Amino acid sequence: MSRETYVTESLGDIYERVKTARVLMVGAGGIGCELLKNLVLIGFGEVHLVDLDTIDLSNLNRQFLFGRENIKKSKALVAKDTASKFNPNVNLVAYHANIKDPRFSVAWFQSFDLVFNALDNLDARRYVNRMCLTAEVPLIESGTTGFNGQVQVIVKGKTECYDCNPKEVPKTFPVCTIRTTPSQAIHCIVWAKSYLFSTIFGIDEDESPDLDNSVNADNALEIENLRRENAELQRINDAFGTSEFCRLVFEKVFKIDIDRLLSMEDAWKHRRAPVPILYDELQKIEDAGINKAASKVAADDQPVWSLAENFVVFKDSVEKLSARLVEMRKTAPEGSPRPALSFDKDDDDTLDFVVAAANLRSHVFGIELKSKFEIKQMAGNIIPAIATTNAIIAGVCVLQSFKLLNDDQAHAKAVFLSRRPERIFSTESLQPPNPECAVCSVARCGIEVDVDKLTIGDFVEQVLRDKLGYSDEVSIVTDKLLYDVEFDDNADKTFKELDVGDGTFITIIDEDEPQGSTPRVNLEFLVYAKELTGDGQATYKLTHIPQIPRRPAPKPSEVGAEEVATGEGKSAAKKRKTEDDELVEVNPTDAKKPKVETVDEDVIVLEDDETIEIEE
Amino acid sequence: MADDRVISAEEIALYDRQIRLWGIAAQTRMRAANVLLVNVGALSNEIAKNIVLGGIGSLTVLDSETVSALDLGGQFFLEESDIGSNRAGAASLRIQKLNPRVVVSADSSNFREKTAEYYAKFDIIVATDLEVKDLISINDMCRQYSKPFYAGASIGLYGYIFADLVKHTFSIEREKSNISVKLGPESSTRSIIDVMVKKEGPKLKEIITKQENYKPLSVSMHSDNLSKLRPRSMMKVSPVLPAIKAMWKFHEDAGSQKPTTESDLVKFHDLVLDACRELGLPVGIISPEFTASFAHNIGTELSPVAAILGGVLAQDILNYLGQREQPIQNWVIFDGASSEAPIYSL
Repeated sequence: MSRETYVTESLGDIYERVKTARVLMVGAGGIGCELLKNLVLIGFGEVHLVDLDTIDLSNLNRQFLFGRENIKKSKALVAKDTASKFNPNVNLVAYHANIKDPRFSVAWFQSFDLVFNALDNLDARRYVNRMCLTAEVPLIESGTTGFNGQVQVIVKGKTECYDCNPKEVPKTFPVCTIRTTPSQAIHCIVWAKSYLFSTIFGIDEDESPDLDNSVNADNALEIENLRRENAELQRINDAFGTSEFCRLVFEKVFKIDIDRLLSMEDAWKHRRAPVPILYDELQKIEDAGINKAASKVAADDQPVWSLAENFVVFKDSVEKLSARLVEMRKTAPEGSPRPALSFDKDDDDTLDFVVAAANLRSHVFGIELKSKFEIKQMAGNIIPAIATTNAIIAGVCVLQSFKLLNDDQAHAKAVFLSRRPERIFSTESLQPPNPECAVCSVARCGIEVDVDKLTIGDFVEQVLRDKLGYSDEVSIVTDKLLYDVEFDDNADKTFKELDVGDGTFITIIDEDEPQGSTPRVNLEFLVYAKELTGDGQATYKLTHIPQIPRRPAPKPSEVGAEEVATGEGKSAAKKRKTEDDELVEVNPTDAKKPKVETVDEDVIVLEDDETIEIEE
Repeated sequence: MADDRVISAEEIALYDRQIRLWGIAAQTRMRAANVLLVNVGALSNEIAKNIVLGGIGSLTVLDSETVSALDLGGQFFLEESDIGSNRAGAASLRIQKLNPRVVVSADSSNFREKTAEYYAKFDIIVATDLEVKDLISINDMCRQYSKPFYAGASIGLYGYIFADLVKHTFSIEREKSNISVKLGPESSTRSIIDVMVKKEGPKLKEIITKQENYKPLSVSMHSDNLSKLRPRSMMKVSPVLPAIKAMWKFHEDAGSQKPTTESDLVKFHDLVLDACRELGLPVGIISPEFTASFAHNIGTELSPVAAILGGVLAQDILNYLGQREQPIQNWVIFDGASSEAPIYSL
């Protein structure tokens, strides 16, 4: 009788595979803590875990491997320490690092039997997906939001990859809605965070991802006006650090700019006109005694603050942030970039500024004010997260891993956790790869390159044309365009000069469309930087000659494109009917009634996505 | 602590990510609750972890058994050095470390000596991995004081949850539907008792208050509800349900053992078929391979399965306390081979 008795009896032969398995876990947060506990208790042979994050107080309601004493420490290292006590037989290796670090090479990924993603962001998920496709290592991908979660099994060439279905992109707002005609609290919050904060304390708004700054015929004039406003604000910035600064900013954005908006009378024919607010009037109310210091108001994030309270916090936060920035500028070394502050939901001064500024603007436009707690969620894109959902999803990940380790991929499933009265999970058989997926339906090849010697021109001529039979009509891209038929500026540059080095992916896009046929699928090279010796001429070596099939002929209707446009919070996979969608209904008379709880799963909510036309 | 009834700013910061899901009112109700866990196993480790992290008021762990090496296979609250000591005592020390705000205590007495008055002290009673006669006895004592009761077991790759919340009122909040909600019965156990509409920004929200009525285990385990399903649906009923009933019967006849010998396995297979017939289900849903697999799993526990069942059960406890969301009515049957977890109302 030992700790292995139950696992052996329950899993039988699979346990032999588990015991010798070497697995990688990317992420040691909500799902990661739960997953690591399961992997260690079950007795996986060797578990490597990578996480670049450190522990925060708000993690402790669910990431049970961490305690208060571990705050600010590495998640990966603390998780390893705590979990190692669960089973001394498991070999644990922790890295406090970014998974995109070049030391985690394709060869390193290849050394694992299985990879688990326990991540919280799209970018890292996509990266690991691509590394696993390249290394041909199966990946178990998972995610949770509040009560819901899902697990996806990804095997190169056999199943959909993470990118086979379009993913929701972060919502952006037309710049005019934010700057001219806000109608919801979120518009004022985005204004405070992405425009006002950035202009006063940080980088310029053009770099902010929340705003859609595209200029078209309809908004050209308005954009021009907004540019002028920015310039005025920049001038006010000259008063930065003086006692007048706060008043100047306030009067500019809550009075002068609003007066200008009011002068565009047509804009307010069919919507409530904004009402400017006056610094001196609010100062009078404050002087008459709102009997609360700014710090006291700001400490309470539950109630909605009054107008005067927002005013007090606005002034206080401007003062604090200005003082910080002045100090930073004083101590910045000569010649370094000009110091700036960036919005951080966990930095209370920046949050207080955004809360107060957003609420003051909401007041001007007659929009409902929000509490600090609510604004923190909207400004910081906070996703609710609970221990139970993470525990359930991590458990499902491990059950799916048994199928893969047992070479029983046919019975692995995509599993969705959602709140329905008739079942906990919806499951779906694994779908074959999407032949049009730009990530997994590509040809792949490794190339050893002497990056100091091989030029792009030589690469096009010797590799693409002579060896692989491409025409001249190709584009070569990494994270930027290196070459195409109309852009040969780089032809004489070496790989090294173009920042192409060990671990870089280069994608070859075939743009030649022969009569009655289609272009080839993309070809993805993974570069291995090597000094090649021997034959004096050899500056590269292909790992193999890849098969590069032609793309499938386009279908009559482009359903995929539409899905991207309307991608409303749910992935295409989620929209698909589950294979067993019949309700298990015990009372026969109930079967005919619509199930109230299931309705809200599929309700299509039309977002208020108005586009504003400025009438002149 | 200044005022015990009001949630502090520090608690709000700690519970931030969940308060954003269920709100302050629900969180405040959770922190006033006293929960009892009867028996310490892989499943109750998971439940304890989740509800203590979630921030209930107090947790009592009741178990008179001592830690054995077997326990270490699925229980992260127990370590090698605990072998030989009381299970409740050893586990409660580590449970406490998860959240100093929750009062965690151990009771090393035998649950069979407890009376209805003992159970009446708690707001929720959860019994895991016990024999069916013990579950019925605890459930009946809870019923005397209208106390909600959960039972559950993780049986290797398989498992179940049973809920008897007596009579439970809860609300769900959603965006207002175009179809107006009618008051009155919604299923044989559930009725809608109130609808409130509130404006939240540009959107209309509706808060629907419902009530679920429950049966005790002694009644529910003899339910023939599934026999009323259409044949097509019957064929999809999880074979794990009759297997669990057969396991109870096997234990009753043979004591707390698992079927291992050839004749045991034959007997167990017959018991599963009998259970299937009693439920009014076609025996075609049972294959000998399935009963053999289930038999191997009897008496074992497996961490990922305990995590799934413990996650579902703990969330139901938290929802019950928060008086939000549809609770389990009234069985969850889990099959880890297929990752299916249907809910049956029996």
